Amino acid sequence: MMETNRRRFCQLLGSAFLLPSLLSEPVLAGANKSQTQPLFASAAQDRDGNYHLYLIGEQGDVLLDHPLLGRAHHTEAHPTRPLLACTARRPGRFIDIIDYQEHQLIKRIHAEAGRHFFGHSIFTEDGRWLITTENELSTGQGRIVIRSLADDYAIIADYPSHGIGPHELIQQPSSSVLVVANGGILTHPDHGREKLNLESMQPSLVRLDINSGELLEQQMLPAELHQLSIRHIDTNSAGITAIALQYQGDIGHNPPLVAIHHPGQALELISAPEPINLAMKGYCGSVRCDHSGRFAAVSAPRGDLISFWDLHEKQFISSIKSRDGCGLTATANDSEFIISAGTGRCIKHNLKTGHTSRLHQTIKTAWDNHLISIQT
Amino acid sequence: MKQASSPLWPTLLGAAFLLTLTGVLHAAPTEQQWKTVNHALVTEHIIPRYQHLAESSNVLKNSTSALCQQPDQAHLSAAQQAFHRTMDDWESVQHIQFGPIENLMRNFSMQFWPDKKNLIGKQLNILLAEQDPATLKTDALYKASIGVKGLPALERLLFTGQLSELENNSYRCQLTSTIAAYIAENSAATVTEWQQAYSPSVFNAGSEDSYYDDHQEAAVDMLKSLVEPVEAIRDQKILRPLGNGEKVRPRRSESWRSERSIRNIQLNMASLQDLYEGHPDNVASLLRQQGAADQADKISGLFNDIIAQLKAIQGPLTTTLYQPQTVTQLQQVSASLKQLDLALNAAMKTLDIQLGFNSRDGD
Repeated sequence: MMETNRRRFCQLLGSAFLLPSLLSEPVLAGANKSQTQPLFASAAQDRDGNYHLYLIGEQGDVLLDHPLLGRAHHTEAHPTRPLLACTARRPGRFIDIIDYQEHQLIKRIHAEAGRHFFGHSIFTEDGRWLITTENELSTGQGRIVIRSLADDYAIIADYPSHGIGPHELIQQPSSSVLVVANGGILTHPDHGREKLNLESMQPSLVRLDINSGELLEQQMLPAELHQLSIRHIDTNSAGITAIALQYQGDIGHNPPLVAIHHPGQALELISAPEPINLAMKGYCGSVRCDHSGRFAAVSAPRGDLISFWDLHEKQFISSIKSRDGCGLTATANDSEFIISAGTGRCIKHNLKTGHTSRLHQTIKTAWDNHLISIQT
Repeated sequence: MKQASSPLWPTLLGAAFLLTLTGVLHAAPTEQQWKTVNHALVTEHIIPRYQHLAESSNVLKNSTSALCQQPDQAHLSAAQQAFHRTMDDWESVQHIQFGPIENLMRNFSMQFWPDKKNLIGKQLNILLAEQDPATLKTDALYKASIGVKGLPALERLLFTGQLSELENNSYRCQLTSTIAAYIAENSAATVTEWQQAYSPSVFNAGSEDSYYDDHQEAAVDMLKSLVEPVEAIRDQKILRPLGNGEKVRPRRSESWRSERSIRNIQLNMASLQDLYEGHPDNVASLLRQQGAADQADKISGLFNDIIAQLKAIQGPLTTTLYQPQTVTQLQQVSASLKQLDLALNAAMKTLDIQLGFNSRDGD
């Protein structure tokens, strides 16, 4: 009973915070003027089915509540300025750029005619550009598009992604290399989210030169595993990419769901021990490297678990339970991650110490696919 | 105006605040309520169904073994009957996809279906061609591919081919009996684990050694078992056999070889209705306690409609699916299942249950 009352009280507090957002103009919701430091940002769905971008403070308080036009997917933080870029989920067509200190929508980017976004955008390390993965509807081919912050997000480059359905993209740290996950799955807004080419899909991982768009490398999976969609990636400072896969075949086949890539080498598929690999149900939601770059966390929301992997030894380490857990981000501590879930729960887990703690929050909301920690 | 702005203003604010308060409060059942419902579902719905499966699969094991001793028509019929009873019990608990049935891939081992790439046929043919006696041990089956361990493989062995193939204690007959023994073992282990380990985990949700952090979380697993099969039954068991409007595909229906496709769906729906409202402390009564009697009645009505619609359909689908009347009837069932799916999802909102956000609709 105590538990329930506390939860209800939190919901109530949450709804009190949300009240201003209903009254104000669509753009910004003042939220409260807490002095705590920002901890993480993530898109979410509230109990009434409305979508928001939230910035949560270290005390679990809501520092920003920004109503979104529709469901979003990934949120990116600018390396030096207090900006968040929140990208619409496929086949959405908006990216909201928000100044979280001023509580202002700086810019709403709309996809060009004949294009939509795939849910991911990133700022370059130097903070000058925003890069997106996009669908060119006339050809079904993936595009990588660069917009300049100095020119009000005008498009300054538009490259082929060398595949269908590019999803997550990452700038390899301290380099001009862009790593792109071409998921391989063809979709068209006329058919909603229907997958149109499962029999012939051919996912790939590519590395491109950001400045020229030149294709530096493209790696495919073995033919028998062509239905393993390469969807979410993270690259450490050594240029090693951890890849989280989503299987489009029968999950009883129990395929590997994680891959590792070293520049210039073939993709190396790795499996968890059979009971855990099966429990992941053929579907990984996110992947993030820890602060040290040695370890990766991979979420499996359908299996209600988070798995941890050693990128040096190329093997599974451990897993923890997290119901509907999907969003992952590294903290400033080695081997430590924050995990967000569709249930509204957030936990912090250190895989070295094995310690897990629940993060206190003042709102209950369904956290969406990805979250990002804000390190100020 | 002046009067209104002085003493009444705080009262109005207070009323608005209370309204918000009750608006939030009425939506969520208490932990105690979830605990009661979970307890009822485990003891009266889940465990008895697994017990029935353990009993019937044990009979199936014995009758296939007797068939190999005396391979005549009477023993074959007895084994087929035992298969049907085991399938009845499996279809009545197929909707429970959490807990011990997930251990060691048991759910896939019991029934790998739909088998879009004919994995079962291919693997069974390899075994039958090689006739390696080492594969005739249940221990060996634990390591064997999931295609050859379960009920669909057994169905092929018992309902296709000639009686003569089972004579002289043939490899084929012994394989049949070995698979039946494996199914019996798996079913018995599932009951034991529910009784000894998993039900305490549900009952003591929130304690140190429970899998669940609270009773509502355990309820999510129960309610997934109610809601998710509805769409799966519609997609896999009805729409796939109906084809894309050009040509019907009866061999895509479940258990078409033993001619029980419609019976399977009837048993599925009866089980889901039992989960929903078959026992005193149930999901429907919880909805009514939340002031959502309309929703509760609508769902109940849809279950009754679907069960009546299914009763009118003639089998076996391998022949009747070619008749336009059967197609129309199945389309009606499909439409009703869609309605039921929507109604159940709306009920989850009333009960403050998030079945899964990223797990059900991720990207």
